[in-house]
Amino acid sequence: MSFRLINSLIVLSFICCSGCDSLFMSSPAEFKLSKRTKSLHGPAKNAVQRNLLDKFGTPVDMKAWERFPINYGSIKGKVKEPGSSTNAFSVSFNNEQEILPENSILRWLTGSFAAAEEDLFRDIPIESYSAETGEIVLAKKLSEDPKEGDQFIINPGFVLQHGRKLYMTHCLHCHGVSGDGNGPTSEYLNPRPRDYRDGVFKFTSTLSTEKVSHADLQRIVKKGIPGTYMPSFMLLKDDELEAILSYVQWLSSRGELEKKMVAELEADYSTAAVRSRKKEGETSEAISKELQELLSVEFSETVDGLATEVAETWTRANSKESLVVPKISRVPDSPESRQKGRELYLSNKAKCATCHGPKGIGNGPETKLFRKIPGTNKEYDQPGLFDMWDKHVKPRDLTRGIYRGGRRPIDLYSRVYSGIKGTPMPAFAGTLTDEEIWHLTNYVMSVPFEGQSSHATETEKVSQK
Amino acid sequence: MKKFWCLFFMFWPIVALVVCAMAPGMNWWFPGESNSPIGVEIDGLFNLILIIVTIVFIGTQIAFGYVLWKGAHIQKNEKALYTHGSHNLEIIWTVLPCVVMLFIALYQMEVWAKFRVQSTFDQDAVSQPIAEVTARQFEWRIRYPGPDTKFEGKADITDWLKNPRPTDLYTVNDLHVPAGKNVLIHLRSGDVQHSFFVPELRIKQDAVPGTVIPIWFNVDNKTKKYDESIKGFSYELVCAELCGWGHYKMQARVVAQLEDEYKNYLLQLQKEQFDDGVSAESDDDEEEE
Repeated sequence: MSFRLINSLIVLSFICCSGCDSLFMSSPAEFKLSKRTKSLHGPAKNAVQRNLLDKFGTPVDMKAWERFPINYGSIKGKVKEPGSSTNAFSVSFNNEQEILPENSILRWLTGSFAAAEEDLFRDIPIESYSAETGEIVLAKKLSEDPKEGDQFIINPGFVLQHGRKLYMTHCLHCHGVSGDGNGPTSEYLNPRPRDYRDGVFKFTSTLSTEKVSHADLQRIVKKGIPGTYMPSFMLLKDDELEAILSYVQWLSSRGELEKKMVAELEADYSTAAVRSRKKEGETSEAISKELQELLSVEFSETVDGLATEVAETWTRANSKESLVVPKISRVPDSPESRQKGRELYLSNKAKCATCHGPKGIGNGPETKLFRKIPGTNKEYDQPGLFDMWDKHVKPRDLTRGIYRGGRRPIDLYSRVYSGIKGTPMPAFAGTLTDEEIWHLTNYVMSVPFEGQSSHATETEKVSQK
Repeated sequence: MKKFWCLFFMFWPIVALVVCAMAPGMNWWFPGESNSPIGVEIDGLFNLILIIVTIVFIGTQIAFGYVLWKGAHIQKNEKALYTHGSHNLEIIWTVLPCVVMLFIALYQMEVWAKFRVQSTFDQDAVSQPIAEVTARQFEWRIRYPGPDTKFEGKADITDWLKNPRPTDLYTVNDLHVPAGKNVLIHLRSGDVQHSFFVPELRIKQDAVPGTVIPIWFNVDNKTKKYDESIKGFSYELVCAELCGWGHYKMQARVVAQLEDEYKNYLLQLQKEQFDDGVSAESDDDEEEE
């Protein structure tokens, strides 16, 4: 009898396990289209989707578009001359290489091996490479010598794949598969995780018009963002960090391109626009034909141009010119400087107090006003400030000494100088002089410690308890 | 068939014993040799308990085996012996464990007091805590007193724990301590319960919301290799209390450094934290990767 019981238990547990399996093993990860893309007229939406699939692939089958300044980790080169045996030949790389990573593989781009039907000679492990002789030895013998000028790529997309694995482990559950900040745990977080698809990152060391720099992203991943749920990933190895950043930048570029494509088509070919055009008397055939023509003739060129734009902003963000560098070093922190900062803080010139409040606790009059939702006539259902993601934001409580973008003087300087991107915190680059910003910085840095100089008596009280 | 089952059920305890005996040598499950003096003492307690448990385990398994074996040899027409139990046996297996437990309770007291009772702490370490560690979902935020801070007694430390000071230095997931001397940190939690666990130093202390818990330790780096890249000896720090969905993310490190290097580290940290982007050269700002 007991045997029967155990048997049925075992059967039951098998059923449970397979049930769980089907619960957890949902369909393979895929990139979701943004809401705006979905609001496009059918064929236009399909065109956007097709382009994204073409240029970026899916999370399972990724494509590394070289248009973007992303470190995909691949190394390109060509054959200089065949070597002593069929698996050795000397090469020249497009960018000089001292060493190759371990377990590298080589894929032919041109020549007879690239054209070969069978995969036998496509991804070949590399046994060794010597920078001195410039000779590569493959782990496998080729059927014939490669020809001079045959092009190859080493480790195609390896960094991106590595990044994907790490992203799926560490980032996905908040930032989501598509990088839209809608991962399964994101619902429980305030502030919400960043939506990468706009390419806008809040805490940067770059000018207000520029994007986030690579160094900024490195800093954010390594140090986390205090006061939010973004934790520190201090112990990631350098190559892991770079891989994650490549993947994030790739996701971000994908989202930006999507957004830009939609912006191109939205005016004339959103579902709503098409509907109103029909109302005005245009036939659906005419609209379809027009759209068809646009998509088949100009659109690929347009997409190309848009991608270049996106790529340029990423490149530019890393240039020296985009970096915020104060013209003068920090004004020494003194009561006078703080006083000047305090005056500025309250002044009409900087207007800090209108949001951050006269005492710096983030309760200025602006937080009590009802605002209109951009692009509409409706008001938000709660008073206060909203960021570009339509999320309610509180001006920072300066008394708490928690600085999301970093606590170094230069961080605070950058916050004031370039503002916080995507939020109502404006850039004061044009309004305030460097000296004034430093006074303000000195004041803001002193706010958490106000009233602490006379704490002696208080301390004694505490110790007696 | 009956004998098969006897042997079958005796086989597994023997496998368990063999595997356990091999474990320390093969470095299975064990966190390696302790790198702190108090850890060695804690290991002593651990080993003592392990020995007691092993003896009990062997004894009970032999008894079980004997009963099984005997049962397997009962003839078909032999009647089972019916008993109301044995008074003597009951007393033996009640008193004996009590004695063993009492022994363990008394024997461990000294080590435990040294590790946890605040009045036994090294007063030098207590008078100059080196950091405040705040566990939060899902990271360790660390605040050092400024390099020039000299605390003036207990009240001053209490005040420092309540009110951060402008000279404080901040890091995250990277706790540096001077090696070879008793150091004290104050542990607190920013949200839920966490646990500060450094297996190689045998430190495990829960971080409880609302309280500040002092922990002292001494890193002697006995078996650890010097890591040139961080100028110190690195130990893994993890959270040992399931604190939420990101529990596994709470990986950090404790770096034990020689006195000079530790001081340099703090000075470097200070320099970085007060960087105004002009005066200091910014080595860590990579323009391009």
